[in-house]
Amino acid sequence: MAEWKLLAQVFVNGVLFGSMYGIAAIGLSLIFGTMRIVFIAQGSVIVLFAYFCFWLFHLLGIDPYLSLIPIIIVALMFGLGFYYGLFKEAAALQDRIGSLLIAVGLMFFLENFMTVVWTPNPRAVVTSYGFYKLSLFGINFTLVRVIGLVMAVLATTAVATFLKKTLIGIAVRATSEDVEASTMMGINPNRVNSVTFAIGIGLAAIAGTTMATTYSFDPVYGFDFAIKALVALTLGGLGRVGGALLGGIILGLIESLGAYYVGTDWAQGIVFAIFLLALTFRPYGLFGGGGQKT
Amino acid sequence: MKGSIDTYIKKDKRTIYLIVIALVVIVFGTLPFYMDVDSFFAYYLFICFVYITLAQAWNLVGGYAGQISLGSHAFFGLGAYTTAIIWHNDITKTWYYFDPLLMVLSGIVPAIFAIIIGLPLLSRLRGDYFAFGTLAAAEVLRVLILRGGEFTRGAGGIRLPGSFFESMEPYYWISLLLALLATAVVYFITRSRIGLALRALNEDETSAASHGIHILQYKILAFAIGSFLMGVCGSLYAYYLFMVQPGGVMNLNWLFIPILICILGGNGTILGPIIGSFIVAGIFTYADIYVGQVHPMVSGGLIVLVMKFMPTGIMGLKEKISPRR
Repeated sequence: MAEWKLLAQVFVNGVLFGSMYGIAAIGLSLIFGTMRIVFIAQGSVIVLFAYFCFWLFHLLGIDPYLSLIPIIIVALMFGLGFYYGLFKEAAALQDRIGSLLIAVGLMFFLENFMTVVWTPNPRAVVTSYGFYKLSLFGINFTLVRVIGLVMAVLATTAVATFLKKTLIGIAVRATSEDVEASTMMGINPNRVNSVTFAIGIGLAAIAGTTMATTYSFDPVYGFDFAIKALVALTLGGLGRVGGALLGGIILGLIESLGAYYVGTDWAQGIVFAIFLLALTFRPYGLFGGGGQKT
Repeated sequence: MKGSIDTYIKKDKRTIYLIVIALVVIVFGTLPFYMDVDSFFAYYLFICFVYITLAQAWNLVGGYAGQISLGSHAFFGLGAYTTAIIWHNDITKTWYYFDPLLMVLSGIVPAIFAIIIGLPLLSRLRGDYFAFGTLAAAEVLRVLILRGGEFTRGAGGIRLPGSFFESMEPYYWISLLLALLATAVVYFITRSRIGLALRALNEDETSAASHGIHILQYKILAFAIGSFLMGVCGSLYAYYLFMVQPGGVMNLNWLFIPILICILGGNGTILGPIIGSFIVAGIFTYADIYVGQVHPMVSGGLIVLVMKFMPTGIMGLKEKISPRR
């Protein structure tokens, strides 16, 4: 009985943890889908927003979930700035190495910037309700993690609805299907790309706030996180919003089950080994094939 | 008549190039005789030559064949670890320090690793997926080395007998030799049938395959040769550090610096990586002294600026300025 409970606990933790990879993966997926940019700095941007949350909490005493509002506004502006300031030319040329390197440079810059400003020591936002637990069938659900999962699901639904219902959302989808054809239909690629970038960074803000309330973080954690988001994205299949969230959750499960059965030291290796296997045998995502645009 | 003049100019140009190359090789080759090899400038040149080797290796795979590999640091680290493990466990019973056998073995092991991961990845994946795959393979290797127990000694790494160190002189020679070797290998490959095939599959894979080019074979060949060069370079660096640990030799810098050099100099050109190496090595080594702590931030910002304003590299600029190719 106890064995079963422990396993269920590991399972639940995996799902709750994985939802955070999921949000990051959706942002990556959108940015990759429309601009063919592998935005590897996503993880560092997430950590940056976690630090913003940390500052607002410590210096001004604003509740992390309340601080989400100003942070998301800042994030949307960051997204527009990143697009117009850095990625516009590379996106127009669909130059992948170029944009990848810009993202890498941005990541290096942010990591070291954060190290200088906030020191390399791990930080965390500890709220009064942070350790509050819900119990169901003898399995513990930490409140902040459940809120994280709920936010992930909400964000996914919001983004999916936005892509399905609004005009600009439809334009975003059209651009990710075929850039040239959509331009000929009168869609302004700059506008679509900037909106996509803003949404991607906005999702990073949500992931960052969730991370700040749930775990301790340090400046160099971002790269690891970005790679895992990439894995989640590939598991879910490029260009699928729901798939990215599911891929993140699967990744979280693999990681926590791997840590439980084999040991935390090996969890990282197992994640990447499974990623390699998935790439080899199901290259275009676990959920169905679909044509891949090269 | 015009044709014969053209061929004459071409021949003339070739002699000039040969003379320039010979002069450069002689100048760099004889430098230790009239310069202090333990000076900072010699160290800078050593780093340059290491970067040239790595960048040419990446250039072959990423520039000419168009396969963006993100696993360079794994091949570099594997080369360093091969040297360290063989030396530390006394396997080959030779003299170890700058042992040619050991350096060649350190190239062969990464080449075999490249073939093993290249077979499934290169046959099935294209473009971005191949890049992710190599990155994942590199991460798996890093975890294996970190958890390798007594064999790799985990995060602490393997310490080699540092008493062998006498002066920078052998390092300078060997690194120069490696840089020349890498450049020559890439040059002759690109001028051969293999190079033609690589360029063809870079342009259009499907079309190349339909013209009877065995795509997988050529891709793997390029990937293995690139990994061999990186591995030998890793071996040299292991001799330089006398301390092989995952944080040092499997650092992500070994992945991004060669790519930055290739892009800055001009991807898919023979001269580009050389120019790029001198610039990047200059910035990295001198910024380390003068700017200190903030320097990774500077290099990060630099990568962004270069890519933003000069995406075709220095060789690309030249093409923009001169109307004639």
